[in-house]
Amino acid sequence: MARLVFLLIAGLGLLAALGTILSRDLVRAALYLAAFFFCVACLFVTLEAEFLAVVQVLIYVGAVAILLMFGIMLTRDAAGGSADLSGAWRVPGLLAGLCVFVVLAFGIHNAVSPSGKGPWSGIVARPALEPSDGVAWKAERVRAIDDMPRVVGEQFMTRYALTFELAGLLLTAALVGAVVLVREDSPPTPDEPADAASTEPEPAVAATR
Amino acid sequence: MDLSPGSALIAQAHRVDLTWNTAIVWALWLVVGFVGIFPGIVAYMVWLERKAAGRFQDRVGPNRVGPFGLLQPIADAVKLIVKENIVPRHADGLLHLLAPVLVLVSAFLSLAVVPFAVGLMPIDPPSGLLYLIAVSSISPLGIFLAGWSSRNKYSLIGAMRAVAQLVSYEIPQVLATIPVVLWAGSLSLATIFEHQARFGWNVFAPPGLLAFAIFAIAGAAEVNRAPFDIPEAESEIIAGYHTEYAGMRFGLFFLAEYLGVFVIACVTTVLFLGGGMPLPFSPFPTNLIDGSIRRYVLVDAILLAVFLFKVLLFVLAMYWVRATLPRLRVDRLMNFAWKYLVPLCLLDILLAALWFEIVVRPGRVSAGRWTAGMVVTGLLVWASVRFVFWVNRKLAAAGPIDADWPVVGAAREGVETDEGGGIIAREVGTTWPGLYSS
Repeated sequence: MARLVFLLIAGLGLLAALGTILSRDLVRAALYLAAFFFCVACLFVTLEAEFLAVVQVLIYVGAVAILLMFGIMLTRDAAGGSADLSGAWRVPGLLAGLCVFVVLAFGIHNAVSPSGKGPWSGIVARPALEPSDGVAWKAERVRAIDDMPRVVGEQFMTRYALTFELAGLLLTAALVGAVVLVREDSPPTPDEPADAASTEPEPAVAATR
Repeated sequence: MDLSPGSALIAQAHRVDLTWNTAIVWALWLVVGFVGIFPGIVAYMVWLERKAAGRFQDRVGPNRVGPFGLLQPIADAVKLIVKENIVPRHADGLLHLLAPVLVLVSAFLSLAVVPFAVGLMPIDPPSGLLYLIAVSSISPLGIFLAGWSSRNKYSLIGAMRAVAQLVSYEIPQVLATIPVVLWAGSLSLATIFEHQARFGWNVFAPPGLLAFAIFAIAGAAEVNRAPFDIPEAESEIIAGYHTEYAGMRFGLFFLAEYLGVFVIACVTTVLFLGGGMPLPFSPFPTNLIDGSIRRYVLVDAILLAVFLFKVLLFVLAMYWVRATLPRLRVDRLMNFAWKYLVPLCLLDILLAALWFEIVVRPGRVSAGRWTAGMVVTGLLVWASVRFVFWVNRKLAAAGPIDADWPVVGAAREGVETDEGGGIIAREVGTTWPGLYSS
C-alpha cells in the first residue's frame, strides 16, 4: 500500500518535472514546477514529516511559484502570450542545473541513514505506533511526529547553525540587491541641462491633449 | 486537565493509524461536511449578507423566493449550474478551468484543521496552524492563473492587484498568530483551544487584542472583502480576475470566497475568541466530560452552538464593515500593510513575550499576575499603537503634499515638480506601470 502510494506520487512528480523542462510556455512550466513541489510535499507526508511538507507547500507553492509568476508578468509581455523560452541561456542553464544535480547527488549519497546501513540500500520498515518493544528508535519517532517544529528548530540552532546563518545572509544580500535594483534615481533638478532637454517637449505634448 | 476524550470516542490525537475507523470518520467528514454542510453554510451566508446589506441600505433584501427569501440560495445555485459556461476564444482552456478549482481546493483544505468542538475536527496535525497558512497560500496562485489565462486586461489587472494584496497581507496575518503560538507552545489548533480554556481567551490579553485586530483586518484582506476588495473592484475593473468567468466556474469562485470568509471567522474564533467556550475564564463545558457518551454529546452541542454563534457574529461584523467603509486605494492598501500592520505585529510579538513571562509561565492564572500583566502590557500596547501611527504621520508630513499620490514609473513623465520637489501638476494618475503598455 505504502509503496503503491509512493510510486504514484513519485511518478506524478517525475511527470511534472518533465513537464517543467519540456513545456514551451513559461507560465505552464512554472505551474508544472509548482505541481512538482506539491508532489515533493506529498512525499514528505508519506515519510511522516508533515511539518516539512507544510513548509514545502508554504514556501515553494505559496511563495516561490507566486514569485515566478510575478517575474513572468513583469518581464514579459504577459497578455500577449509570447512567453516562450529563449535559447541563448540554454547552455549556462544546463551547466547550472548539472552543478546542482552533482551537489544533490553527492549530498544524498553521503547522507547518514538512521539504521547505520548504506544510504541506498533497500527499504527500512517503520515500527507501528502502538507500544511494542524491540524497536530502539520508536520514542524518537513519536517525538519527531508530535514535536517536529521543535526538533527541526533545535537542529537548525545546533547542528545546522552555520548553514542556517549562511542562508539568512544570502537572503539578506538578495533583499538588499533587490532594493538597490528597484531604487529610483533622485528626482531631476531643473538646472541640469540634460534633464531639461529631456523634459522640455513634455508640456507641449500635454498641452495638445 | 485532559481535554482530549482520547479513549473510546473519536480520538483527537496527533498520531492516527490508518485503520477502518479513521477511514470511515474521514469519509464522513468528506461527504457530509465538505460536500454537504459547508457549501450549505456558504449558501445561507450569501443569503444573510444580502439580507444584512439590504438592511444597511434601507432595503428589504431578497424576499420573493420562499418565506423571507430563504429559498433564494437554492434558486441561485440552480441558476449558476444550468447557466452556459462561456470560455473566451483566446483563453488558455486548461488553466482557465484549473484556476477556480485551485482557489476552491485551497479554501476547502483550510477547513480540515478547524476544531469545531472537542473531537469534532477532521484532522489534528501537530503543525495545524502552519498547515492552515500553507494551504491558504495556494489561492493566490489560482487567482493569478484566473487572471492570466483569461487574456483580458481587466482580469490581468485584477490578478496583479490580488496577488500583490494577498502576498502583502499574508505577512501581518502570519505574524499576528505568533503571540498565540508563543502562549500555547504549540502549532496545533486543539492545543491552542486547550490553552485558552486554562488561561482565558487570547483576546483578553492586550497583545492578544492587538493581534486579534491585526488578524481580523489582514484576514478580511486575504479573502478580498471590502474595504479590501480592490482585486475585484466592480466599478474600476469589472470584477477583476473573474471577469471572464460565467456559470458554475464563476460559482466556484463565489463559493471559494464565502468559504474563505467562513474559514477566517472560524480561525479567528479558535485562535482568539476561545473556540466554543461560552465563558472567558472558565473551561466550562469541557470540564463536564467524564467519558460517557451522553455527556460528550452534550458538551459538544454546547461547544458547537457557541462556536457557530461567535462565527456568526464575526461574519456579521465583516458584513457591517463592508456596508460601511469605501474601498481603499491600491497604494494606500500597500502602505497600510507594510507601514502600519507589520511594525505593529513585530512590536506585538515582543509584548506577547512579556505577557508570557508575567502570566503564562507561572503555569496557573492568578488575579494578581493577571492584573499586573494587563496594566503593563496594556500600557505598552497602547503606546506602541500610538507610536506607529505617530511615526507614520511624521513621515507623511515630511514628504511633499500629495507625495503619496500614485505617480511612479510610466506616469512620471507627466509630472512637473517645482523647486521644492513638490508635485504641482499631474497628467497621468495611474498606478501599476507596465500593465497599460501591452
